[in-house]
Amino acid sequence: MNKTISINLGGIFFHIDELAYQKLKLYLDAIRRSLSDDPQGRDEILNDIENRIGELLSERITDVRQVVDENDIDEITKIMGKPEDYLVDEEIFEDETGYNRAKTSNKKLFRDTDDKFLGGVCAGLAHYVGIEAIWMRLLWLALLFFFGTGFLVYILLWILVPQAETTAEKLQMEGEPVNISNIERKIREEFQDVSAKVKDGVNDISEKVKNSDFKKNLSGNTKSGLNEIIDTLGTILVSILNVLGKIIGAVIIFIASIAIIGLIIAAFSWGSFEMLGFSEDFINYPPFFFDSVIPAWLLITFAFLAIAIPFVILFLLGLKILSSNVKSFSTTTKLSLLGIWIISLLGLGFAGINYASQTAYDGVFKQTEELPIIANDTLTIKMIADDNLSARSELSRQYDFETVYENEIQKLYSSRINVDIKSTDKTNASIKIRKESTGKNKLNANKDAESIEYEFNITDKNLLLNGYFLSNFNNKFKDQLVDITIYLPINTVLYLDNSTKSYLDNVQNVQNIYDRNMPKHLYKMTIDGLACLDCDSSIFGDDYKEKNEKFNLKIDEDGVEVNINNGKKNANIKVDENGVKIN
Amino acid sequence: MKIENTKAQMRKGVLEFCILSILQDDDAYTSEIISQLKDAKLLVVEGTVYPLLTRLKNAGLLNYRWEESTSGPPRKYYGITETGKLFLLELNTTWSELTIAVNLITTKK
Repeated sequence: MNKTISINLGGIFFHIDELAYQKLKLYLDAIRRSLSDDPQGRDEILNDIENRIGELLSERITDVRQVVDENDIDEITKIMGKPEDYLVDEEIFEDETGYNRAKTSNKKLFRDTDDKFLGGVCAGLAHYVGIEAIWMRLLWLALLFFFGTGFLVYILLWILVPQAETTAEKLQMEGEPVNISNIERKIREEFQDVSAKVKDGVNDISEKVKNSDFKKNLSGNTKSGLNEIIDTLGTILVSILNVLGKIIGAVIIFIASIAIIGLIIAAFSWGSFEMLGFSEDFINYPPFFFDSVIPAWLLITFAFLAIAIPFVILFLLGLKILSSNVKSFSTTTKLSLLGIWIISLLGLGFAGINYASQTAYDGVFKQTEELPIIANDTLTIKMIADDNLSARSELSRQYDFETVYENEIQKLYSSRINVDIKSTDKTNASIKIRKESTGKNKLNANKDAESIEYEFNITDKNLLLNGYFLSNFNNKFKDQLVDITIYLPINTVLYLDNSTKSYLDNVQNVQNIYDRNMPKHLYKMTIDGLACLDCDSSIFGDDYKEKNEKFNLKIDEDGVEVNINNGKKNANIKVDENGVKIN
Repeated sequence: MKIENTKAQMRKGVLEFCILSILQDDDAYTSEIISQLKDAKLLVVEGTVYPLLTRLKNAGLLNYRWEESTSGPPRKYYGITETGKLFLLELNTTWSELTIAVNLITTKK
């Protein structure tokens, strides 16, 4: 047994049973929704459709007393088609209006509170520049994090930009010319929106009541009431989760986009370091930019891809969370991205291993030469540089490398040279030069060490040491260095030129004078090391002072005590309540 | 990509052209237009036609009038306007060009 309802469909009267009515109603509602892009034409189209359904039904129902049942409605929907079939390709009709909209110019900036997230500033700006509000919001989010001022500017705009209240203002906001017909259309649209909402709402409620009644009658229990409460709770929960998801999505997008922007800037600026005045050594800094089998540009591309691809995926993920209609990459694209990523990682790994192996072994090359210097001679040591090679103004020990040209051959210039002076019991002085380098095996390292070019000169008791050495251009970052040790017989007198200042390395001397203070003085070689002949005691090391000169002055409530000790003799003066005591 | 979708898209493209052609000599009411299209197997479901008719009418290519009917409520009779005729003329040319082009390409092998 079923209730029947009387309906008027296209001017024809029908009896329809309750279930069939629900079905027909759902069908028409679905069509209404699928036509919702076009609120004006919608009612007209729906009218036509109702008329047609009425016509089709009247063909099937020959007797007025016959009731329309579910089968009839099924047949009708089969003839009429699914709600999706009512959609016509929108682009064909849309482009014309879109063009008109773009042409109009007298737009004004308002806040769009109809489409607001916070204050409608973004939506208003989006209308103004003619893009979707979501992009404007993302831009603001980015600004917020980039400069922090985005927040303040937003608040300012919120306060300063008026809200679009009147219809004319809304039209100006969207950039449509304000004329009577447009205003009328806009008002009608709004009215229809509201009325449709109200109508739908009322219908929904009445239907729900009816349905629950209906179900109650059918099943004879009150379960549906509970079900509805659970449904409502479920809806609330889902919407909260949705909002949370959106926030997470926005954060992901933000992080990913900043990372990508940063990477792109980094990748592009690497080539311009030189222009910006960075030293070449910085650009060639290991592990990525050393001279390897993989060219530097490829290494940079690998590094860029290895980091950027995960962020691109992350960005897409964020977008998908924010809006479900974002298209995903195709499987082919995904697989190729994965492939490129793996290749990049392999490339980087290879480069890393390559770099590590380049410096795996230490190599040494030594040479010793006798100098025509004997006891009581006076030797002067000077460091010299070749001004034609390097533009470095100062002669000093430096750990970095510079690219220079010697006879049009590219070479590495370095001044990592350590000079030490020691005593010897031989009659002649000598010089030992020890060159060091690393390499991928012992032999290689030794060869590289040997290939370091270093020279010195001795003329007329003047020892001229080069303040630099040269090595093969391909041997970048092999920790090359040169240690020089000069052996002097006892009683040789030595003068250190000021140029040796930064090259001296822990030279042993009697007065414990710090390396930096040693030049510009005369020394005599003794068994204990160099002894300064003309130094001021102010440059003597603390250890030496303590050992050789003890002068203590103590003043306290007991009195005054003075203690002087020069190594051999000890003098003590004590003034206290007992009087003065001198030892 | 579904073959049904592609088929439907192809049909939809020429549907306006056919509706205008049907109406070029005589006015017709909706059901007549639909049955002609159905007979020609150009239409699978009727739903597609209604939005099209309304759009053509809104574009000024068609107009309509209500006519009393002996067997039921008044019927909506559609007719072609002068603009519609010019439009149809253009479509005719385009269609013949298109058929030649498509024939040329599909029979080339």
